[in-house]
Amino acid sequence: MNTLSIKKSSKSALALGLLLAFSFSDVAVAADKKIPRLEGKPDFSGIWQTTSAADYDLEPHSNRKNTPPSAGIVEGGLIPYLPDAFAKKQKNFEARETLDPALKGYTLGVPRSVYYPEPFQIFQRKQDLTLVHQLGHSVRTIYTNGTPHPEDANDWWLGDSRGHWEGDTLVVDVKHFNDKTWLDKAGNFHSDAFHVVEKWAFLDANTIEYKATIEDPKVYSRPWNINVILYRHREKDFQLIEDYRFTLDYDEFYPPKQ
Amino acid sequence: MKKNILKHYLGVSGLAFVGMALLPQMALAADTDKPKTEQKNATGNGGGGMPREKSFAKISSEKWTGARLADGQPDVSGFWSNTIGNHGNFTDPQGGIINDPNPNRIPKGARADRAPSRVSDPIDGQVPFQPWALEKVKEFQVKFHDPTTQNFVEPLARCAPGGVPKSLYWHGYEIKQYPNYVVFFFDSGTRIIHLDDKAHLPSKIKLWNGDSRGHWEGNTLVVDVSNHNGKALFGRSGEFISENGHIEEHYIFNKENTRYNYEAVFTDPTVYTKSFTVTIPERRWTVTDKPDGWNFDVWFAKDSAGKTTIEHEERICTENNGGFGLGAV
Repeated sequence: MNTLSIKKSSKSALALGLLLAFSFSDVAVAADKKIPRLEGKPDFSGIWQTTSAADYDLEPHSNRKNTPPSAGIVEGGLIPYLPDAFAKKQKNFEARETLDPALKGYTLGVPRSVYYPEPFQIFQRKQDLTLVHQLGHSVRTIYTNGTPHPEDANDWWLGDSRGHWEGDTLVVDVKHFNDKTWLDKAGNFHSDAFHVVEKWAFLDANTIEYKATIEDPKVYSRPWNINVILYRHREKDFQLIEDYRFTLDYDEFYPPKQ
Repeated sequence: MKKNILKHYLGVSGLAFVGMALLPQMALAADTDKPKTEQKNATGNGGGGMPREKSFAKISSEKWTGARLADGQPDVSGFWSNTIGNHGNFTDPQGGIINDPNPNRIPKGARADRAPSRVSDPIDGQVPFQPWALEKVKEFQVKFHDPTTQNFVEPLARCAPGGVPKSLYWHGYEIKQYPNYVVFFFDSGTRIIHLDDKAHLPSKIKLWNGDSRGHWEGNTLVVDVSNHNGKALFGRSGEFISENGHIEEHYIFNKENTRYNYEAVFTDPTVYTKSFTVTIPERRWTVTDKPDGWNFDVWFAKDSAGKTTIEHEERICTENNGGFGLGAV
């Protein structure tokens, strides 16, 4: 037993020594090796979810009924609304208990689908990342094969996502949105001129830092940024469970009963 | 700004189903919402309407000799659809909708001139329903055409997931594969098949698409489906499985990787008198095929290497405030 312990210790000491040697020479490379990779690029495959209160309200807020307090995730604190748009946001906020599209189980849009408090799964191939969101099992494809945005596009709930790699960061340009989704439960909104540039990067193998720059000249006076952390679900056998919530209104009528 | 409405739900059968007065403007809407690239890049000799095979060959389970993915799975990823007809009629796929009040939509000619029933065993092609369940199905087939209560509305018409097996013979769909997963992207929901041997979800959880566990046996993807909510009908003909049902699926791919046959055994002691087998033929669609707005509802793009790629419309339904076909309730 003792011999074994000693051997283990010497191995550990050797490993530590090597680790230190490498760490000091090239910290970036050492960190680099710890993240999963696919075809040389970071591999985001897995089931992810934020622990932030972003979906309650992107901006800083005190507690409210059914809403925990939060410092928000908007860089600088507040969303730079144009005056008319701010009035609309206020109206949305007052009527949020009935108007929030998420209450109907609708596709959440971008970036809300990323920080909505339900898990989503990233399926990654070289040519694309496919995001399946538990709510509605909505599907977003982020193309990483160099294809451009379509020229004659529809207005989509999730927009059209084209990504490329800048080092180990996945940069995604998302546009061609409709004006029907909200950014959170608090009524923050956008128009069909909405444009999002996302940056996805590993902090470590089980943590993604998600940043987005958001612009919409019809609604905001300037571009603004958000930043949330996503954690990997590591519970044993964790899986998405389909959540087609919009079917609940007529669920009771099926199947035929004996 | 373009409004993405209805386009998705107005394929051939959807149109056939809409009241005549609505046809002109709906056809127009469908045309104008087509991405231009789809027209521009359309090449090849496929497409040109719904494929309507009257018969199809058996595919044997055998070893896989085709391409494999890095994790060893046979590579069957791509775009697929059924080859005999949509969900209008489960047991007579080219027979029109049962009790259709419009006689022009009922096919003429002998039953033998049309594709066989999707029920391949028993030989009579009928689901072996228990008497109470058969009564419910017959009632649905009558009241479907004038639903006086909610339960006679086909749930897919309200954007509910198509479920198993209907999703395989509604619109065309895409299969993508990953280590430990085969994923079906239907226009009526997403079905994730887990290949990693974990246990099914707790039986208390009931789902439109059930809970799927699969593995490969040579050229065959074998999938065990449980946790059904029993709510997704097999078509406008009203057949169903209950919460107690169990489905054992075999997706048998041919050597050329151009076709597969779905052969599945349905068991449910509360609805059927015995197990029965469902067989559905499916075909692959590629860049050499012409998008047809239903079985291959896509457009083409060029990647950075100049290779033609296939892209699909966002999968949206309930958000458009109306199911496909509108009148198809």
